Amino acid sequence: MSARLASGLLLLALLAAWETWCRAAAVPALILPPPSAVAATLWGEVASGRLWPHLAVTAAEMTLGLALGAAVGLGAGILLAESPALGRVLRPYILASQLVPKLALGPLLIIWFGFGLTPTVVVTALICFFPLMETTLTGLAEVDPARRELFRMLGASRLQTLLRLKLPAALPVILAGLRVAVVLALVGAVVGEFVAGRAGLGASIIAAQSVMDSSLIVALFVVITALGMVFYEAVRALERLALRRYRKG
Amino acid sequence: MPTDPDPEGFVAIEGVRYRYDAGGPAIVNGVDWTVPRGAIHCLLGRSGCGKTTLLKLAAGLLMPDEGRVRVAGAVLRGPAPRVGFVFQAPTLLEWLSALDNVLLPLSLKRRPGPADREAARDLLALVGLADHAGRHPAALSGGQQSRVAVARALIGGPDLLLLDEPFAALDALTREELQDDLLRLCALRGTAALFVTHDIAEAVYLGDRVAVMAAGRITHSGPVALPRPRPPGLRYEPAFAAACRALREAMDRGETVRERAA
Repeated sequence: MSARLASGLLLLALLAAWETWCRAAAVPALILPPPSAVAATLWGEVASGRLWPHLAVTAAEMTLGLALGAAVGLGAGILLAESPALGRVLRPYILASQLVPKLALGPLLIIWFGFGLTPTVVVTALICFFPLMETTLTGLAEVDPARRELFRMLGASRLQTLLRLKLPAALPVILAGLRVAVVLALVGAVVGEFVAGRAGLGASIIAAQSVMDSSLIVALFVVITALGMVFYEAVRALERLALRRYRKG
Repeated sequence: MPTDPDPEGFVAIEGVRYRYDAGGPAIVNGVDWTVPRGAIHCLLGRSGCGKTTLLKLAAGLLMPDEGRVRVAGAVLRGPAPRVGFVFQAPTLLEWLSALDNVLLPLSLKRRPGPADREAARDLLALVGLADHAGRHPAALSGGQQSRVAVARALIGGPDLLLLDEPFAALDALTREELQDDLLRLCALRGTAALFVTHDIAEAVYLGDRVAVMAAGRITHSGPVALPRPRPPGLRYEPAFAAACRALREAMDRGETVRERAA
C-alpha cells in the first residue's frame, strides 16, 4: 500500500514540476502544454462525449487484433512444435513476415481492405502473432522429458499428450507471451490508425496534429496509456485465474 | 499369450544389449534376468552403470538392439501394458489435484467413474494421504508427492511395478516410511516389482533378490536371506548389516572385474 502511495505522490510531484516549469519559463502551449491545460482538454473531450467513439474503436481494434493474432500465433506455435520438419521449412518465412516493418505494409493493406477497422486489426494481429508463436513453441518444446515418458508409458495418444500434458505445462509461458502481445496490440492499433484509421485514438492524434492542438495530443496519450493499463491488468487477472492451481496453497 | 503362467519368470530379460548411439559403447551389455510373479527384485549399482536404461528396456520405453524382453510371456514391442512406472522425480501434473493425478492413467483411457474415484481414494488412503486428495502437488511435501506417484502407478492394478530410484531425493525417515508402504502395497496386491537403487540398505530391505550392475553387466546376483514380512526394526539387526556388507563386497568385486576388463 505504501508503495502505491509513494507512486501516487511521485506522479503529483512530477506534474507539479511540469506545471511550474511551463508557467515559470513561459513555455508556449504548442511546444509543451501544462498539465492543467491537458486536464481541461481531456475533461472537455470526456464531457462532450467526443472521446468515447474513438476509445471504443481503438479498444475494438486491440481486442480483435489481439484475439486474431493470439489464436493464429498459438496455432502456428503448436503446428511448428509438433512438426519440426514443417517448422524448418516455414521458419524463414515466418521470420521474414515479422521483419517486414508493419507500417510499411499499411499502404498495401489500405489497397486490399480500404480505410477503417480491417487494416488496423490486421496490423495489430501481425504484431501480436509473433510473441504467442514463439512462447508456444518454447513452452511446448520444454516439457519435462520424464513427463513425456510417463505419457508414453500410459499409452497416451499424440493428441492426448498435446492437450493433457504439453499445453497445460506450457500455459505459464504462453500466458507470458500474451502479456507481451497485449502491450504490442496497443502499439499496433494506434500506429495502424496513423496510417489507415478514420476513427480511433491514433487517428485522433493525427487530427489533433493537423490543427496543432498539442494539449489534445497529450490528453490522447493519457487515454491511450490508461487503455493499455486496463488491458494489461485484464490479461494479468486472466493469467492469475488460469494459473491459480499451479501455485502453492 | 500362453496359458501356462510364465514358467520362466513373469518378466524375462533375455540377452539384452542396448546402445544409445550406433557406434557408441553398449550401455546395457548382455543382461539376462527374470522376475517371478509377485517377487520384488532390486537392481543395485552406481550412477551411470546402465540400471535406469535396463529398467526402461523392461518397461518397453526403449527397444533392445539385441535380445528381448517378455512380460507375462509376450515379447514387448512398445510400452508395456499393465505395468506401473515410478520415475526418479514424482512427475506429477501440477495443475491436477492429488486425486486427479492418481486417476490420470485411467482418465487417458476412459472417463473415470465413481468406482474409479473410490479406488483412487483408497490408494491415497493406503499411502497415508486420505486427507490430501483435493490438494495440488505444489501444496504437498516431497515425500507426499512421491506417495502420490506410487499411488498413480498402482491405480490400474498392475501386475508389475518398475521403480527408478523413486525415493532417492527424500530424507532418510521419509524414505524408510515409503519403503514400508511399498512393501505393504506389493504384498497386499501380489504385485511384482523391479526396483532400481544405488542405496545398498534399500536394496536389502526391499528385495527378495538383488542384482549388482556395473558397466552395463550384472556382476553379481543373489537372494536376500531375510524373512518376510520385514519389520522396520530389521534395519538395525546384525543379519541386515551382514547382508549389506556382503553386497558391498560384491559391488567392490564387480568394480575390480570391470577394471581388469578395461
